Amino acid sequence: MSPLVHPITLLFASIFTSNILLANFLGMCSFISISKDQKSSFGLGLAVTLVMTITMVVSWAVLKLVIEPLGLDYLSFIIFIIVIAAIVQILEMVIDRVSPALYMALGIFLPLITVNCAILGAILFMQIRNYNFWQTLSFGFGSGAGWWLAIMLLSSIRKKIDAAPVPAGLKGPGITIITIGFMAMAFIGFSGMLSVQ
Amino acid sequence: MKMNFDERSAYEKMKSGVLTSTGFLGHDTRPLTDIIAADEELFKALGLDFDQVADRLQELAARGAEGLGEPITVDGLYLVKSDEARGRLPCPYGDGLYHKNSVSVERGDDRIIYSDLSLHLLRVHHFCQGQGSPFRLDPVVLKRICF
Amino acid sequence: MNPLLLGPLVVALISSILALIISITDRIVNDYGEVTIDINGGKKVLTVKGGSPLLGTLAFQNIFVPSACGGRGSCGACKVQVLSDVGPHLPTELPYMNPEEVARNVRLSCQVKVKQNIAIELPEALFNVRKFKTTVERLRNVTYDIKEVYLRLSDEAIAAGGISFTPGQYAQLVVPPYGDLKESIQRAYSMSSTPQDKEHIELLVRLVPGGIATTWVHQYLKEGDTVEVVGPFGEFGVRDTDAVMVFVAGGSGMAPFKSMLNHMAQTGQWTNREIWYFFGARSKRDMFYLDEMADLATRFPNFHFVPALSEPKPEDEWNGPVGLITNVLDSYFKEKISKDKPMEGYLCGSPGMIDACVKVMTANGIGQDKIYFDKFA
Repeated sequence: MSPLVHPITLLFASIFTSNILLANFLGMCSFISISKDQKSSFGLGLAVTLVMTITMVVSWAVLKLVIEPLGLDYLSFIIFIIVIAAIVQILEMVIDRVSPALYMALGIFLPLITVNCAILGAILFMQIRNYNFWQTLSFGFGSGAGWWLAIMLLSSIRKKIDAAPVPAGLKGPGITIITIGFMAMAFIGFSGMLSVQ
Repeated sequence: MKMNFDERSAYEKMKSGVLTSTGFLGHDTRPLTDIIAADEELFKALGLDFDQVADRLQELAARGAEGLGEPITVDGLYLVKSDEARGRLPCPYGDGLYHKNSVSVERGDDRIIYSDLSLHLLRVHHFCQGQGSPFRLDPVVLKRICF
Repeated sequence: MNPLLLGPLVVALISSILALIISITDRIVNDYGEVTIDINGGKKVLTVKGGSPLLGTLAFQNIFVPSACGGRGSCGACKVQVLSDVGPHLPTELPYMNPEEVARNVRLSCQVKVKQNIAIELPEALFNVRKFKTTVERLRNVTYDIKEVYLRLSDEAIAAGGISFTPGQYAQLVVPPYGDLKESIQRAYSMSSTPQDKEHIELLVRLVPGGIATTWVHQYLKEGDTVEVVGPFGEFGVRDTDAVMVFVAGGSGMAPFKSMLNHMAQTGQWTNREIWYFFGARSKRDMFYLDEMADLATRFPNFHFVPALSEPKPEDEWNGPVGLITNVLDSYFKEKISKDKPMEGYLCGSPGMIDACVKVMTANGIGQDKIYFDKFA
């Protein structure tokens, strides 16, 4: 919990060593179900990164300007959820207008992201660790990028696994969770480099 | 297991009144993935292969088409009636358009009804349709009819 | 301030501010203003409110592009050639396009939104298509599974001139939500009424098991109900030559030929041409209009009606030709129809029946380019 961590360090830390998925196990639900398909995984990862970055920054603003001055910490959960839902809605509309092709590829996932616990989880981390603006920005982008990286890795691994003779009982969720466990252990290998939690 | 977007939209299209009057799900309330998984299990247990069964049914349909809409006897075992209607139906998964034909095959007491779309759903998506659907290709019945 | 009051107040305030931002964004983002649709190189220019799919926007302007699924992207019937750049094909359009259509920028008009000025090309015939409000004047079962649906146009439609079409064309019946059907769809049926009767449209509808539209017609539609019909569509019709005409149909395929033959009886057109009409069915219960056809054959010596049953039941006491219609057709070509005049083939039925008849016709001297059909596809 060091508020003086440099934003760049934080960026790399949140992608690799404190990967929100593999170190904190947040955002598992859509991680497991969407990683079946590489194209969807790419789209979802992109969407999560976008949403994560934007909502982090806005939530930080709300935190500093409204919640803390008025002493409403006990309401922070509700307020953050409302902010996330509203931002996702606005983002969906703007993407549809600006690029219908992008909306077709990715807009379907946006409502799904509202309930992705990684978003709320990262925001709460930001609150607990009392990050400043630049730290929030890099942490938000990094967490999203880390989530994206993890789901791309998992979908590629699953593609290979599909061709292998997995025992019937482990097919699907079973082997996926085991794989995630291995991935998490591999990522722990990074933790010696940078530690932020 | 949460259904991803493609499966969910396919599931919605399979409900009655969307693409066809009765839909593809019958009165089955299980999620789509469960229906497919259960039928895949049955296929394996009965030693059936999806492509093989689809090929056989396609062959019967082609022979039945010679009747030009009237029932004809094929191989001395089957009573096949091939009917067609105007227009085309899209696959609920969005990967193709199929002629609205309807092939009914009878062998002994067993009777199945299928179309080009049913065969595509069977072959590519391993979907036999839900319990209670009049167009369900139940694996047990398929085994008795085909082999 | 009392925290019990402050808390809910702040949450409510934040929610309202965000809701306001959302609706403002919605207003800005979805307001495309007025745009123009240029049709056929300036032949017709429409000024419309932008933002909606092309199909609906055109329909609102009384230009009806054919659609079976009502704009939900599940039938592929609403293809329009778009000359402007409206972005790449959407994933919902591609399943219905072949590579040549993609290259020409043929799009599904229900998926393309009109967001800026756009130029399109529509077939001329589409300008004659109208949407008619009708009332069911009479429903009659002509066989156990075919219903004759006689619709009377609304008074306004009749005052505006009624319906004008050529015999052989079809119309789209709009099926409203009923039973499990949640959104309306449209289905095509050939018109069996004649152009002389501008105030009515008649359709022959055969019950298809599991069919959304035919189930509605047979089980829900009552005399006196109002029904919307869009049309006329289609290029099936009698070609203006002197050739001998060979009609082949079965079941509800009778519709376009009934229209053509009655038109001949009412106007005298084509009476100098030799016409052979082969109508195939399984058994007597699938046969209909035998008396009407016999009557036409008596009044017009050039018209020959050949009904054939493929599996007549003993109780049918059938004395006419027996066998599959293709076989009967073939035998007549060889024995009864003279070859010294050019011939044209007109077919109405399922793709299977049409393919089989085309084979018989080409084998008997009718060129493939002289065989016309309304394929049920």
